[in-house]
Amino acid sequence: MSKKQVFTLALNGKEVEVLAPSGATLLDVLRDKLSLRAAKRGCNQGVCGACTVMIDDVPVRSCLTMAGACEGRCITTLEGYADDTVMRELQEAMIASGGVQCGFCTSGVLITARNLIAENPIARNDEIRSALSGNLCRCTGYVRIVEAVAKAAKEVAP
Amino acid sequence: MNFVVSPKSVDEAVNFLVEHPEARPMSGGASLVAMKNARLIDASHFVSLANIDGLRGIGRVGDSLRIGGMTRHSDIATCDLLKGDLEMIRLAAGQIANSVIRNMGTMGGAIGNADPAADYLPVLACADGEVEITGPDGVRRLPVLDYVLDWYETALELGEIVTAVFLPSPKEARSVYRKLARTPGDYATASVACCAVDQGVRVAVGACGPRPLRSREAEATLAGKMHDVDAIAEFGQALRELADPLDDVRGSSQYRLQLIPRMVSAAIADVMEPV
Amino acid sequence: MQLDGTFTIAASRLQVWEAIRDPGLMARCIPGCEAAEKISEDRYHALIGIKIGPISAKFNLVIDVEEEAAPESIRSKASGEEGSRASMLTARNFLSLMEIESNLTEVSWSSDVNVTGRLGKYGLGLMKKKAKSLSDEFVTVFAKRVETGAVTS
Repeated sequence: MSKKQVFTLALNGKEVEVLAPSGATLLDVLRDKLSLRAAKRGCNQGVCGACTVMIDDVPVRSCLTMAGACEGRCITTLEGYADDTVMRELQEAMIASGGVQCGFCTSGVLITARNLIAENPIARNDEIRSALSGNLCRCTGYVRIVEAVAKAAKEVAP
Repeated sequence: MNFVVSPKSVDEAVNFLVEHPEARPMSGGASLVAMKNARLIDASHFVSLANIDGLRGIGRVGDSLRIGGMTRHSDIATCDLLKGDLEMIRLAAGQIANSVIRNMGTMGGAIGNADPAADYLPVLACADGEVEITGPDGVRRLPVLDYVLDWYETALELGEIVTAVFLPSPKEARSVYRKLARTPGDYATASVACCAVDQGVRVAVGACGPRPLRSREAEATLAGKMHDVDAIAEFGQALRELADPLDDVRGSSQYRLQLIPRMVSAAIADVMEPV
Repeated sequence: MQLDGTFTIAASRLQVWEAIRDPGLMARCIPGCEAAEKISEDRYHALIGIKIGPISAKFNLVIDVEEEAAPESIRSKASGEEGSRASMLTARNFLSLMEIESNLTEVSWSSDVNVTGRLGKYGLGLMKKKAKSLSDEFVTVFAKRVETGAVTS
């Protein structure tokens, strides 16, 4: 029987309290306790990128983040970008370009791409590929994902 | 059951580890939590070092460069202080996994785990780096090659953690890190760190044994013969003799043995190139 | 994974044979062996702990002697698990003794080991290295014990 504890998280701009096993990862808590299911459990080893979220403005793997190590840190999941115009642009570009098939990798891709646009608004294709190299996609062959990110970046460029 | 505690000081962390022998120190968590997820480890506690001041950052300390144990790979990969014969450290950091993992993993965590294929081990061995260890009996330093003992085994005793890595101040000389992996970011199948020194080179090979391969005798024999193709080939063979590679998914031991002399020659050619 | 080896012991073939069929002595020679007992004439149970870096595993094994030609050769099968079936192990083993002189015996052994589950998935290459170093350790301890005549149950 695993020991449970209450975690207090600063999540998508709000403070939430959640009861979960002591050894839970942030991904476990997001999906299994908070029903925030954009982040996906792909490999649970940090390799596939489907679990990527933002913590303190930096993209990280929620499957490798202990819920107990999140105290005082600011977590943003894809759900937290609902009112973000840049994210909306990215999402529409992904749909229009055919960069979404099964959708499993999509949340992680969007988080990583959104961060790339914020850090490097004029990213070249090779820079986009490099930034997304930690997001594995089994469906699309990546070309349309890269096109979508390039297109969205251009649309939102100042 | 992997209960996370977050001490505010190194002493607090050390004392906790001593009092709870089933606890494990946690740095970035990139390797540790992955092992927990794979059910390979089950600690009583994860002692997070994230809230301890003074463990992050890269800076000069006297004649040395100090990399704090909690410094992330992403910061090491972009650090201007790592230039010249220390550039290979920056290059190694930038080839670890991918940018998101590099936001999480740390120098201290990587060498605490001492994965034989870890990118830092050969570059630190080549750079004559020293590991600063803090524990219940105080602070001590070990050269990297004395710190890594065996497959995933280090000189860390109960309650000890890696608090920093010390390097000699960078000198103006070329250095490279060559990594061969199945795919970019994967652990190395074989890797070579090389830096130019007066009349010669220092070389360390990674991922071909429990510890990085380095031979000061072979380096001394090679010195002054940097344009002698046979001498370089012999040097590569000398390092190959020290290897004890695995047969695993990243390559067979035979393949790794074949790679060593070729990668060593290539790395030496890299640093010998006229600027 | 295939493991094999050959070594010599300064003892008679019969002495070596008796040592091999003595679970108490074997238990004291196998690195990490925490317990070994005879369940029936041809069945033994052993508990063997191994540690690779931060990973510890305690293997619960049943060893069956399948074929025996005393004092020449023995074929056995080991099977078991660790971590409440987190990993499963099976090993088919063959061992033969050859008399070189009346007080010198050559031991040849081979083992075909299969590990599935968490250790098989993540560490097979390393397990082979570990198995090699454990078997080297076993050989040293076993040879010394037999040579000094410490054959007790």
